[in-house]
Amino acid sequence: MASVLSGQARPPALSSPAVARLVRRNTYLAVPLALLIALFIANAIVQPQFLSQQSWAASMAVLCPTVLTAMAVTLPILSGNGGIDLSVGPLAGFITVLIAAVLVPAGISSQLIIPIVIVFGLLSGALNGVLIAYVRLPAIIATLGMYLFYEGLGTEVLPEAGGSVPVWLVKLDGSYGPIPAVWVVFAVIAVVWLLLTRGSYPRNLLSVGGDERAAYTAGVNVSRLRVVTYALGGAFAALAGLMLAGLIQGGDGTVGPPYTISAITAVALGGISLAGGRGGLLGGALGGVVLFLIQELLTDAKVSVYSVSVVNGVVLILALALNGTAEYLRRKSAAAKQGQG
Amino acid sequence: MTTVDVASRLDIEDLSRSFGETKALRSATLRVAPGEIHSLAGENGSGKSTLIKILSGVLRPDSGTLTWEGDVKRHLTSPSGAQAMGISTVFQETLFAPEMTVRDNIFLGTDGLFRYGRRKGAELDTARQALSGLGLDGLDVDRPMWMLSLAERQLVTIARAIVRPWRLLVLDESTSALDAQQRDRLFDYLRQARSEGKSVLFTSHRMDEVLGLADRITVLRQGTTVTTLAVGEASRRGILGHMSGRADTAGIVSAAPAPRREEGRPRDAAGTLVLHTEELTLRPSSQPISLEVRAGEILGLAGLEGQGQVEFVECLSGLRKPVSGQLAAFGANGTAHPVRSYGGANRLGIRYVPRDRRHEGLFGPLSVFDNFAVTLWGDFNRFGLLRRQQVKKRFADFAESSRLVSASPGRAISTLSGGNQQKILLGRWIAMRPRVLVVNDPLRGVDANTKEELYGLFRRLAADGVAIIYLSTEITELLTLTDQVAVFHEGSVVAMLPSQTSSDTDVVAAMFGDEHHANPQRPGTHQAGAGG
Repeated sequence: MASVLSGQARPPALSSPAVARLVRRNTYLAVPLALLIALFIANAIVQPQFLSQQSWAASMAVLCPTVLTAMAVTLPILSGNGGIDLSVGPLAGFITVLIAAVLVPAGISSQLIIPIVIVFGLLSGALNGVLIAYVRLPAIIATLGMYLFYEGLGTEVLPEAGGSVPVWLVKLDGSYGPIPAVWVVFAVIAVVWLLLTRGSYPRNLLSVGGDERAAYTAGVNVSRLRVVTYALGGAFAALAGLMLAGLIQGGDGTVGPPYTISAITAVALGGISLAGGRGGLLGGALGGVVLFLIQELLTDAKVSVYSVSVVNGVVLILALALNGTAEYLRRKSAAAKQGQG
Repeated sequence: MTTVDVASRLDIEDLSRSFGETKALRSATLRVAPGEIHSLAGENGSGKSTLIKILSGVLRPDSGTLTWEGDVKRHLTSPSGAQAMGISTVFQETLFAPEMTVRDNIFLGTDGLFRYGRRKGAELDTARQALSGLGLDGLDVDRPMWMLSLAERQLVTIARAIVRPWRLLVLDESTSALDAQQRDRLFDYLRQARSEGKSVLFTSHRMDEVLGLADRITVLRQGTTVTTLAVGEASRRGILGHMSGRADTAGIVSAAPAPRREEGRPRDAAGTLVLHTEELTLRPSSQPISLEVRAGEILGLAGLEGQGQVEFVECLSGLRKPVSGQLAAFGANGTAHPVRSYGGANRLGIRYVPRDRRHEGLFGPLSVFDNFAVTLWGDFNRFGLLRRQQVKKRFADFAESSRLVSASPGRAISTLSGGNQQKILLGRWIAMRPRVLVVNDPLRGVDANTKEELYGLFRRLAADGVAIIYLSTEITELLTLTDQVAVFHEGSVVAMLPSQTSSDTDVVAAMFGDEHHANPQRPGTHQAGAGG
């Protein structure tokens, strides 16, 4: 194909250093990173034991469902066109019920629980994706339906919190031998992240989120990409449910729903455009950590549970407003650039 | 690169495609040979874009056949399917993902879902080669698209098309943002490709480009292929005549046009000045527009899609700010007021009827009466309480005087035909007693009888002293209804044609920027497009 193009002498292989490119590609992470550092320091000052090893392992185990549901909702949001998955929280909650009230009593072996849960999440997300990409329901309505479905099903199957989960799950806030268990979880997340971001998937996802018609006319199979994206989101939500089951050491249908809102807040905090096309999984994860650190501060200040919810609402609105302002400024500079052209 | 040795690369026979009631393409026939640059020409609504969307796999035709290098196909499955066959398309609109890099935008769609289509090094090499072939040697391929200039963006979308292994490159108005040098560079590239046996199909709103680049021209009119000409054997005038539909026989010219405006109606001298633009500039690179509109005048606006006429009416109605220049409306006592906003334009009696009835005009579930009355409540209320009876009377007056409203006022407007909806929408603004009525393609999708009725309405309004700015995509309509037609090309008014003495072909010539054939006559009160 190269011979097709009227040949010219090739410029040297790289015109700008890889580091500069990496920075430019991830500028959206600047704000969440700054927040993360500031909140980390604030926590360390207010609460000196925050830095102790023991507290870390437990904190991170609590952190995991927030981060994973945030990552779960990040992918659909990046796909644009009003993409969102409200069902991530209730799905995670239902997974705890599925493990504690169905899989464990049925005698399913521990090794099989993880793949079953992940496949369940994939299928649930794929169903969302089909409803949105092929049946053409608005994402917010389709996934609200799934939200209600899992919320109801969880309490129907297990009216009162309880049941039991395998021992290895409970030990997630402890350690496997010398290695803290959460590090294993983080390693797994990192590997999944690497697998997803090394290939062409981000390019496809962000182009569909950035301009669907550009992607479609260029040859991207937009509908298939949507289904896969929601399926992956479902798998992340299912992993969150797995962690949650370990944390609460049982099943509880009511534990999931609040994670939907915290996940969306985390995405906004992670510098991700809710309109799609800008951001990445890392942003969702960072946003989750930032939100967690905010809550830690509040807990330490002995703020009541209800006030935490008030603060969550304020943080969500502030983060969205900040995102909107940043977007507006960028648009303006882009328009100014166009004027020159 | 392998070039398949075929007699005909693309052979389109009797292709048709409708959108609801509208027949966008009736019977398109097109033959593109290997090693040929072929131009697709036609006015607005001639079906060019529909045909190109079918060729690129975006749309499926209703009937007809499409033969690609000897293979008969009913339709192309998808954009990626068309590309796999060797058809690469650059669309009229510059489509790109703004946050992503130049490289990502070039190779968009060449990947699998998770696996890249080619290695990174190969991508960089191919991208740089394609870009330097288009004259963008220094462009950093890791820049996000939104940081690029308009011309660079358009060139990147062209690069996206040419990095695919194409044998037919389709360019739909793909040079609009490019300067002369960039265009020449692109044309050199296309000629080079032609010498390698590849084929190019392009549309352009510049007649010079069509004549300078194409080997053959296929002319479409109203969705039907009129003729295919070799560039050598056709005159400019002949091609323009085919596009406007006035070239077939001498008889059609005199037979076809509907009766022109009645002559002898005094206007230029009698009408008072109501609207005045001074050095109004629509785009940074376009010529300023200075013109005057008088009471009782109907000024037509023409142009191919996206040539500035819509920006112009949006400026007039205060919806858009011009790049520079002044726009003033004159009150009843003759004092000039600048138009700065939509609300301001309204207070000065400038009423704008938008093009898109459904989205910008009507409240679908509400009744005919409510849709009519929505603009009137501001005037007909006492301490915020609506005076329904008075508005009802106004509605009855309008219905009677205009002889237009036959539907019962309580019906939901969405149940009316397009023509009747348009009547109500116009009535809403006419009931406000405008001084200037700005209409954007008001008779699109309206049946022939209603058209006649509405022509009558516009004429009566003008006779009553309303100035009408009339944007239309139908040239015959403009020449029938208006006093003169301002023709837009690339953001500037390139000709002011008196409707009485101009032909359809004159208008088409001006629309394609063919100034040799545009009627140079400029009436004294209008100095349009005067540079500087």
